[in-house]
Amino acid sequence: SVFCWGAGAGQDVGRSCILVSIAGKNVMLDCGMHMGYNDDRRFPDFSYITQNGRLTDFLDCVIISHFHLDHCGALPYFSEMVGYDGPIYMTHPTKAICPILLEDYRKITVDKKGEINFFTSQMIKDCMKKVVAVHLHQTVQVDEELEIKAYYAGHVLGAAMFQIKVGCESVVYTGDYNMTPDRHLGAAWIDKCRPDLLISESTYATTIRDSKRCRERDFLKKVHETVERGGKVLIPVFALGRAQELCILLETFWERMNLKAPIYFSTGLTEKANHYYKLFITWTNQKIRKTFVQRNMFEFKHIKAFDRAFADNPGPMVVFATPGMLHAGQSLQIFKKWAGNEKNMVIMPGYCVQGTVGHKILSGQRKLEMEGRQILEVKMQVEYMSFSAHADAKGIMQLIRQAEPRNVLLVHGEAKKMEFLKQKIEQEFHVNCYMPANGETTTIFTNPSIPVDISLGLLKRETAIGLLPDVKKPQLMHGTLIMKDNSFRLVSPEQALKELGLAEHQLRFTCRVHIQDPRKEHETVLRVYNHLKGVLKDYSVQHLPDGSITVESILIQATAHSEDQGTKVLLVSWTYQDEELGSYLTSLLKKGLPPSTS
Amino acid sequence: MTRECSLLLPRVCAALADPRQPGSDDTCLEKLLDWFRLLTKFDPGVELLQNNPCLTEFITSMLALPEPSPSILSFTLRLAGILAASENCFQHLQQEQLLVRLFGRDGPLNSALWKDASVRSGWVNGVHSMMRHQPALHLLCHGGGIDVIFTLQGDSSLFVSSAASQLLVDMLILSVETETTKPVSTKDCDWPACAQMIIKHIEDSLQSSSASHIEQSLKLLTNLFGSCRAPWTEVLWLNIAKQIESFLMEDTVQAQHMLADLLLRMAWSPVFCDSEGSFWTLVTSALERLTPVQAGPLAVGLLKLYKCPQDVRIQALTVLLQPMDCILRAASQPLEYTGLLDESVSDPITVEGLLSSKSSCASLLCQTLAQLEELLSTFREEKTFRDLPCASLLRSIMTILQLCNGFLSPASPLGSTLSRILINCFRVQRSALDVLAELSDLRGCDTLIGSLFDVLLAYLESPNTNPTVLKKAFQATCKWLVRLQELSYSNSQWQHTEKILKDVFLVLQKRLCSPCWEVRDSSLEFLTDMIKCLSDQDEFRQSLLSSEVPRLTENLLEDPESYVRASAVTAVGHLAFIAYFAPESPVTGNQYNKENTAAKLQEILSTDPEGFPRRAVISIFIEWLSQGCTGQLEDTGQFVSRVIQTVQHDLDWEVRLGGLELIQDFCHQTFCQLGLPQRPDDPVSSAVTSSIRESESLQIFCRAKLFSFLFRSLCDCDKTLGQRACRILLDLSNHFYPLGTPRDLDETVDLPVRHSIACLQRTLRQGSLAQNFPTDGVDFEDPESMMLALGTIDLIELYDELNKSSDHVEKSPQSLLQDILATVGTVEENEADCY
Repeated sequence: SVFCWGAGAGQDVGRSCILVSIAGKNVMLDCGMHMGYNDDRRFPDFSYITQNGRLTDFLDCVIISHFHLDHCGALPYFSEMVGYDGPIYMTHPTKAICPILLEDYRKITVDKKGEINFFTSQMIKDCMKKVVAVHLHQTVQVDEELEIKAYYAGHVLGAAMFQIKVGCESVVYTGDYNMTPDRHLGAAWIDKCRPDLLISESTYATTIRDSKRCRERDFLKKVHETVERGGKVLIPVFALGRAQELCILLETFWERMNLKAPIYFSTGLTEKANHYYKLFITWTNQKIRKTFVQRNMFEFKHIKAFDRAFADNPGPMVVFATPGMLHAGQSLQIFKKWAGNEKNMVIMPGYCVQGTVGHKILSGQRKLEMEGRQILEVKMQVEYMSFSAHADAKGIMQLIRQAEPRNVLLVHGEAKKMEFLKQKIEQEFHVNCYMPANGETTTIFTNPSIPVDISLGLLKRETAIGLLPDVKKPQLMHGTLIMKDNSFRLVSPEQALKELGLAEHQLRFTCRVHIQDPRKEHETVLRVYNHLKGVLKDYSVQHLPDGSITVESILIQATAHSEDQGTKVLLVSWTYQDEELGSYLTSLLKKGLPPSTS
Repeated sequence: MTRECSLLLPRVCAALADPRQPGSDDTCLEKLLDWFRLLTKFDPGVELLQNNPCLTEFITSMLALPEPSPSILSFTLRLAGILAASENCFQHLQQEQLLVRLFGRDGPLNSALWKDASVRSGWVNGVHSMMRHQPALHLLCHGGGIDVIFTLQGDSSLFVSSAASQLLVDMLILSVETETTKPVSTKDCDWPACAQMIIKHIEDSLQSSSASHIEQSLKLLTNLFGSCRAPWTEVLWLNIAKQIESFLMEDTVQAQHMLADLLLRMAWSPVFCDSEGSFWTLVTSALERLTPVQAGPLAVGLLKLYKCPQDVRIQALTVLLQPMDCILRAASQPLEYTGLLDESVSDPITVEGLLSSKSSCASLLCQTLAQLEELLSTFREEKTFRDLPCASLLRSIMTILQLCNGFLSPASPLGSTLSRILINCFRVQRSALDVLAELSDLRGCDTLIGSLFDVLLAYLESPNTNPTVLKKAFQATCKWLVRLQELSYSNSQWQHTEKILKDVFLVLQKRLCSPCWEVRDSSLEFLTDMIKCLSDQDEFRQSLLSSEVPRLTENLLEDPESYVRASAVTAVGHLAFIAYFAPESPVTGNQYNKENTAAKLQEILSTDPEGFPRRAVISIFIEWLSQGCTGQLEDTGQFVSRVIQTVQHDLDWEVRLGGLELIQDFCHQTFCQLGLPQRPDDPVSSAVTSSIRESESLQIFCRAKLFSFLFRSLCDCDKTLGQRACRILLDLSNHFYPLGTPRDLDETVDLPVRHSIACLQRTLRQGSLAQNFPTDGVDFEDPESMMLALGTIDLIELYDELNKSSDHVEKSPQSLLQDILATVGTVEENEADCY
């Protein structure tokens, strides 16, 4: 079953967190936060996982797909404040970069007043110590039954899709992914793993967007024009991800156009970020890897570290500053300084939550109230440019074609808009497609084929009676099924008895048949004996001295009915081996005895 | 509501009700509801609706829409519920039958939109918000709404189903508490109408054969008994007790797993825990009949209960100790076994069965260990725990740990099965080490301390130990070392202690060189923890300083991983306390030299490319200063000055903040050492000497170059710094100008100085937008100028300004309304694109 906390509808972003229960194992996929709230709504409400009992006991592991905060932002809260103590898996780059972003966000958050219930630096570190880093395509055994495997997802450095497998059942979770390569990352790829379920993000499933090339050209044109007319360009970013992509873009453009205006990157984060891009060069795309031999793309010639005094320098410049939503710190400070000049420009490359200056200027507000009731008039140009890398409807279809899942579940999208895609998937691939609302549990039934080991003894016995194995003809085989420690074995009953140290018991079926016969009991018995002897010619029917009759293992005894002497009760009993004969005999007796000849 | 907001609200309502507009982002709608919740809470009168007719109009127009968007409809339902929370407003809205139309049969619940989980969620939340008074109760109970809530208990959305369950609880409480004229009693069950409907529903569900209905009712009862402690709950209980008991005794319905929680909530309610007989009998039989996994949470909850009867307590403890007892039994020779439990009370067959199965063994042990840890930490303060056989428990934990690392392979059948199952089981190791650490606080375990360290050292040494497990082993070792020291005081087992310490440091040496940063970091943290707890023990100091640990720790100051460098800084800083700051510090080789260490840390502070190590350095410096390790006033002044020069340009605001903290402590110490009062109104010895010392202190501060950093911080883009700097400057100002002292020094100060300070004041007013700081001409090292600055600059005004929350605009309702309005008409949607 799959349960999503999820974000809200519309343009809401955040809190990617999915609980998957597969063959008795519980796995949490991503542990994201919602950046739009300052209270406990920013984290998923984990009390829905288990009402009583500890999370560590309930969950087998947590998997983080990539370092974006809407996928990992609640992780330190979950592991250090809620108290999850079990293993956490992510790729090596994600493990390296995740704490930078968490730290970045923590600093911005605690800078504000009234922020409580937020994790500390120490908690981020303690959380990261619990993380087990994985390589791409490495099968990681979480425990004896549960294994996971990471596949390349594009999107951001270190982003991965994960296959979760228990026995023969499996789920693939895509996280965020991108099916077309971009400037510094390759396209997502997965093998034909035929999972029972593919959980795919569908952020851009219904959005038609310009090609990324167009957006990049547009971006460069705008920056160039501003710099040419002597203006300053502010690009508020978070430390990692988008920033590096834009840096490469500007660096190559500056080189090609031989531009002289300085480009700065604020707060010293760039070195560390770029360090990781260099370290994890194998995770970037082929082009970057190839050129790496001649020149490292992340060693920028034109991009320098920013000092706060530079903001007041005359002349054009481009500055990347954190944080990305213009809600505090350096980016906001520079914005305030430059906002009044129409020659300048601010380019917002990402999502901004309500209430932030970024959100306000993006929605077109030009008179902003600042602290102390001052009004800041925004005369500079404001541009929004989205460079994020998600799969669109075509990409989602492509991935389904690659992986060939038996079911598809779409998360991150609006149900109404997604209906079309759902139908398309169902028609083209003949699989079920689900789109659960937040808080809804989707249950998917699988038909697992369960492997059973057959003992050699049993096999030999079957061949001894002439049944040679034939691939084309499935055979029915009788034996005793032993279930032990989650494995199944079919053995002969004798072997089972021996292995389990049990004694054999005979099971007898008994049945009472009422016969109308006023004679004495021994006379009735004699009539029955004669009748059976006549009917069952091939069997040995015996009349024993104690007055009972036997036919093979079947035993028949007669007694008079306690209340009605005219009725005789025949007690018939037989063993399992003579089940067929026993049933036949009972039905025969139930029809009554033939009229007496004597 | 402010005037600005009431002017914006009609436009916002119109925009939200306009189906042509793109839907607002959910966060905005949530925040809008937060605001209304706040408004109605402080002013429940009908004025809100009367003064803002747009609200009623909004609801009306939403009801008129043939196909509203689910998210806006959900918002409307929740808004209406919040507004109708006060009876007056409820009546006002009902004048136009708005609430009936929203929550009644012909409302959304009968439309196609009901399929959308967000609409159902909005409906339940709306009803829940207004469920504060009888009219709301009647609207629901007489309008058929209550049946909808019954159905929603089984909703496919967990958010909806749990909200529905809680709603029924609150409705039941509301009904009984507002509609009963005389107290409900066992004899005369005269429940009010609405309560009766709910109770009948509970009873019917409990008697039904549907497992899900039974589960829903049990959940409802659990919530009820957990939140309501009124005597009438007992009357309700008596009606259903038999049925509940049957769930426990018969296996026909699978409801046992919910019973533990229900009974626990009841046990915590004074209504039931004070009762005699039947309730506790039921609890006892639950402890006996439920599986160990189901009974565990009940047992631990009962043991925390002050009023739990003794026999129930023993039973509960038996549940928790049974697995531990089995472990001990399985690992001991038949004759040497001294168990945890009296054999007369223990019935180990079920537990042994669970322990010998691979699928259940680890989870049962983890659960039990976690519960024991929870219990021990609850009673940590008391140092003793009634009825708990500490030594045997410790032995069982040690046995588990030895089974887990393969150091024990008992001969008994269960023992050998356990050793096969548990070997390398990290989950169990983690939980066992947590309990082990907790046990160090209890008395009565001391006899085993020797063998305990053997177990711990095996974990610390083994290369197979997982990093998380190692960290827990370090934590447990530290706690037991403290206990060991306490014991060796009383028992004078010096030699034994010395041996253990030597072994610990040997293992630590190895771990400090681990290729895995997590291990190096945990090792350094362990070292720091040990120093903090044991630095006053001679043999600890001797063992540490004679080992290789200090040298290796210093090497880690150059670790490639910044987390490790930071922990190394902290450890080196603490090592300094015992190596050369403490008066009785042993004389060691010249590699441990105060100046060397300080210089190294100072270098890290100025050159390390990452924040963590620099932050660690400044924290250590603060600690050194506060412990008086930085020498005489003169030396300390120079030290502080050097540090401030380095940190004032640091890119990390937390490092700069650390610099300010250092200044604050330094000022405090200077006043102390010069014998000056801490607060202006403290008594002074002599006015003349005091004034000389005042000027001396000011000179010291100027020489240490504090003021440039302090004033610069007022304009820092990170507001926290401005606040802290302003607080320090205010304190200094109050110190140098006690109440009633004239602040106007214009007469005595030169004109250029006066001019420069006026200029500084102007710069400060610009705050973080200030250019070219420091202002030309201000001499921050001149006592006269600084005295003038402290006297004339209006620091109180600045402080108020800085203390305005940096997100007060972000949080204001006016800003929210403006933001919603601003998105109206934006044709192009900005795609959700996040970091």
